[in-house]
Amino acid sequence: MVTGLLFLSIFGPILAPHSLTSVLETQYTNGKVLAPPMEPFESSSYPLGTDKWGYDILSMILYGLRYTVFIAAAVTVIKMAFGTIIGLYAGTLKRTPGWLIAFENAWSYVPLFLILYFFLAPISFNSTLKQNVLIVYFIVIASVISIPSIVSSVRLKTAQLYKSVYVEAAKALGAGKHRLIWKHVFPQLKETFLVMFILEIVYVIALMGQLALINIFVGGTIMRYDPIIFLSATKELAGLVGQARLNIYGSTHILIAPLAVLLLATVSFSLLANGLKNRFQSNYQRTPWIKTGHEPLIRPSRKQYGRKKKFWSLSGPKAGFAALVIAFAGAGVYAVAAKNSNTGVQSGSKADYKIDLEMNAEGYFTANANIQLKNKSDNNWNELIFYFIPNVFKEGHSFDSVEGSSEAKIEKVTVNGQKASFKLDGDTLTINLKPEMKDKSRHKVEIQYGFTVPEGGSRFSKAGTNYYLAQWYPMAAVYQKGKWNKEPYMEGLETFHTGFSDFKVSYKLPEGYSLASTAEIDPAKGKNEGTVKAKKVRDFFIAVMKDMKVYETEAQDGVKVRLFSKGNHDKNPEASLTLAKKALSFYQNKIGDYPHEQLDIVLDEGQFMEYPGIVTINPYIDDKRFYDISIVHEIAHQYFYGAVANDPYNNAWIDEGITEFATSMYFYAGQNQAEQQAFGISHYRMEAIEEAGLGRQYSNVPVNEVKHTGYIYGQPALEILQMIQEKYTLKGESPKDVGMQFLSDYYQKFRYKEVDTKEFISFTKDYFSVPTGYFNNWIDTSKLNS
Amino acid sequence: MVRAVQQIFIIFVLILVLAALPKIISVDPLSGSLQWSFESLPHIYGDFISEISKGSLGTYELGMQTRPIAGDIADNFFTSLLIVLIAVNASLIISLIFGVFISRFRLTKLFGAFMNILAAIPDFIIIVMSMILAVKIYKMTGIRVISLRPDGGALNTWFPTVLAAIAPTLYLFKLVSVKYYQTSGEDYIKTAVAKGMGLNYINFQHVFKNLEPFIKSELVKVISLAIGNLFIIEHIMNVSGITKFIFQSSGVQPIAIGLFAMLLISLIVYISNRLIFYLFKRGFIYE
Repeated sequence: MVTGLLFLSIFGPILAPHSLTSVLETQYTNGKVLAPPMEPFESSSYPLGTDKWGYDILSMILYGLRYTVFIAAAVTVIKMAFGTIIGLYAGTLKRTPGWLIAFENAWSYVPLFLILYFFLAPISFNSTLKQNVLIVYFIVIASVISIPSIVSSVRLKTAQLYKSVYVEAAKALGAGKHRLIWKHVFPQLKETFLVMFILEIVYVIALMGQLALINIFVGGTIMRYDPIIFLSATKELAGLVGQARLNIYGSTHILIAPLAVLLLATVSFSLLANGLKNRFQSNYQRTPWIKTGHEPLIRPSRKQYGRKKKFWSLSGPKAGFAALVIAFAGAGVYAVAAKNSNTGVQSGSKADYKIDLEMNAEGYFTANANIQLKNKSDNNWNELIFYFIPNVFKEGHSFDSVEGSSEAKIEKVTVNGQKASFKLDGDTLTINLKPEMKDKSRHKVEIQYGFTVPEGGSRFSKAGTNYYLAQWYPMAAVYQKGKWNKEPYMEGLETFHTGFSDFKVSYKLPEGYSLASTAEIDPAKGKNEGTVKAKKVRDFFIAVMKDMKVYETEAQDGVKVRLFSKGNHDKNPEASLTLAKKALSFYQNKIGDYPHEQLDIVLDEGQFMEYPGIVTINPYIDDKRFYDISIVHEIAHQYFYGAVANDPYNNAWIDEGITEFATSMYFYAGQNQAEQQAFGISHYRMEAIEEAGLGRQYSNVPVNEVKHTGYIYGQPALEILQMIQEKYTLKGESPKDVGMQFLSDYYQKFRYKEVDTKEFISFTKDYFSVPTGYFNNWIDTSKLNS
Repeated sequence: MVRAVQQIFIIFVLILVLAALPKIISVDPLSGSLQWSFESLPHIYGDFISEISKGSLGTYELGMQTRPIAGDIADNFFTSLLIVLIAVNASLIISLIFGVFISRFRLTKLFGAFMNILAAIPDFIIIVMSMILAVKIYKMTGIRVISLRPDGGALNTWFPTVLAAIAPTLYLFKLVSVKYYQTSGEDYIKTAVAKGMGLNYINFQHVFKNLEPFIKSELVKVISLAIGNLFIIEHIMNVSGITKFIFQSSGVQPIAIGLFAMLLISLIVYISNRLIFYLFKRGFIYE
């Protein structure tokens, strides 16, 4: 039981289903109204119900338990350590000084919690002291004032033992005082101390409980007026009981739940102490001569002298203890792992790629892709679905932004070594699985195909002699919520959603070409054959280039920044490189580790686009400011796209909006520009929407419904900024710090996870303690639960 | 005698220091650190002593009104005294009877097990739980077991008395039964058994006599336990006892007076306990 308790107190917050600040909002589900205070066992997500304000009781208990247990343990350790040492030495004094006894007696007369009350009453209510400081005060004061009682009991026991014959004998043999205490007296008392230790833990918890009943909560009391209520700042268990004291008349579960847990906690410690005591007592007690009604419960185990000492002998208690330790560790690992994998949107598939790519002098590429597709969902798959985007640019396509056209041909598809039938429709490649393969959890797909790159294409593009291979391979779609999440290709915003994959690409290029890619380490310039690798990336971009000048620098943590450019534009590559370095370093400092080892920036005609570890920028535009912003924007995407994934079709705003916010924050917080200027591009987008008379639209709409990209880029950035300006006082000193901290915490939490609108809302709600309705202005919150 | 004087002196100082604590500790809102304003101590105690020397006990605040302590203290004092007196003496008698004299019967074992379970639960949880229970009983049967109204009379005080008795009983019972068990292994018990003396005789003449000093030495602890719980009980059950002066006011005067009254109560209870021992010995044991 104690092990379980310790487990809960260490891993409690990880297990908690809701955070302390998340509130049950009154809601209608299936015709039933859910409103706080909710009774226990009514809803599966609130097992112990909620309190009057809608906070989950189970979560509060799980958060509070650690305070209760650790504070109690800390107090006990301190007072036992000092108490026993002082007591042991005081017990060996020839004559105990009268004042000491008088003091002990006087001290034992005054109830300890009263002393604590008078200490804490002036400092606990709505204290300006920090919570931790208050806890430390409590620990120190509680230990100090309870030392005398420990001293007195240890002193009495020591004095008793000190008079015994064997101590006399040791004294006669010339043992010093310290030796007597530590070698003769202390070993005798060891077991008593152990029992005392555990009982004292219970005693400290009881002390905290008594204080809680008079509204002194450890870690501070938050007092609200009108009506006067007292709240525990730490949610420490005794505090929860205390603050729920008045619920005795109604909604008793608010009081009973923490009380029961507290009871369980103390009882488990008490039982442990009792068990140990019975054990020791039965070992050392003499058998009574008359019938007393107290028979020992356990058979005494006697020390057997003369038996050979073994390093490890298997015995029941030892094995039991070992099993407890193992169970403890195992449960801990499981809890952490489960919590980690439950963050973000779940994906039921994982793909890893091994691709051989060969380019001939005419610009025709042949490739052989070996894709390993893992089924992590509970369903069987009937088919495998891939994006095959080169196919949509075939002769006769209808995209305005693509000048030329491509050839794309899939030669052969094999699945698990057998030839498989497939269907190619637009960019959707459907591979049917044979019935006997449906229940396999791992599929090996081999696709042989060839393609050319359209002149002046969109992302997947040929610009002069350079080939930009974007989405050039069959990209496995993501299996989510029981189906393949595959939407048709559209011009403009990205429509392809991919998971994190490992890549190994071997390539062969004609003479004179070299390659820059997503890979961690790109080959040296001029090397036209080799292998590149990348781990945990969402896409693998390759730029096959000729006659490009390379500029290099280094950002924080040894991250290399390279810039590829031709000389025929008016932008200064050196300045652009410096800007990129500054932006990246800023993000590394403020948000977190850059997910790759190098960042490539390719300046050439085409789209402004981010890929993992590499971005493309068009330097041939007139708007210098937009050019600069784009560089920062694509770098920010390395965090909010590259590492924090999202479905770009259904939740496009998640990466674009947050990236735009992060971009503007670079200018706002990093460069100290005025807010209007830093967020100028977002304002500009919103003005454009207004001019076009488009009215309002939510940001969380699928891309085929988006009326203007401003709703995806500008609106979230401005709304997040406004939220931070309204709520920053909860988290820090200035909107700038809080904004960057928010991005950083968001990044750390969802790194290598997928986020959708719902995840974002629940994270942000929690972060700034706002209700769901707070986002109604720009997010359609009614769709969150579907 | 010297020790008694020392003890009383220390308690006096302790009470005065405690009473003044809320006045001298404050949090500095600017630096966020504790502030000890010892310089106001002489002033605080000066006021206190001058008030006492004038023959009045000073005033305390009850809600919005200020009332003289002297006018209310008698009632409150007797309420508290009654609760503690009954509680401690009852617990002493119960634990002696169950712990020693009828300890060997099977029914007592049941009682012991029940006591052990209760002992594993901290007092304040017992208090809260019993209150929940009382409310539940009222809700289910309509029988008003307790009243939280200060003017509820016996209905207001019997429950606190029982609750105040629980902690000392548990403590004493445990102590007595452990000591009884230890004593029963001694050689003089063996001798008595060998002489063919009856079990009751041994219990009275041999065991009890050897237990008595232990219990006497723990009496102070027991009383302080009862008093400690009395604070909680009176506070959460709206008993208008002596704790009203301590928790509901912030002045040095009522706190100190309240604490001294507590001291007086425990003294009276202690004397009554000794009286019980004396009578018991006179009645049952040949000296």
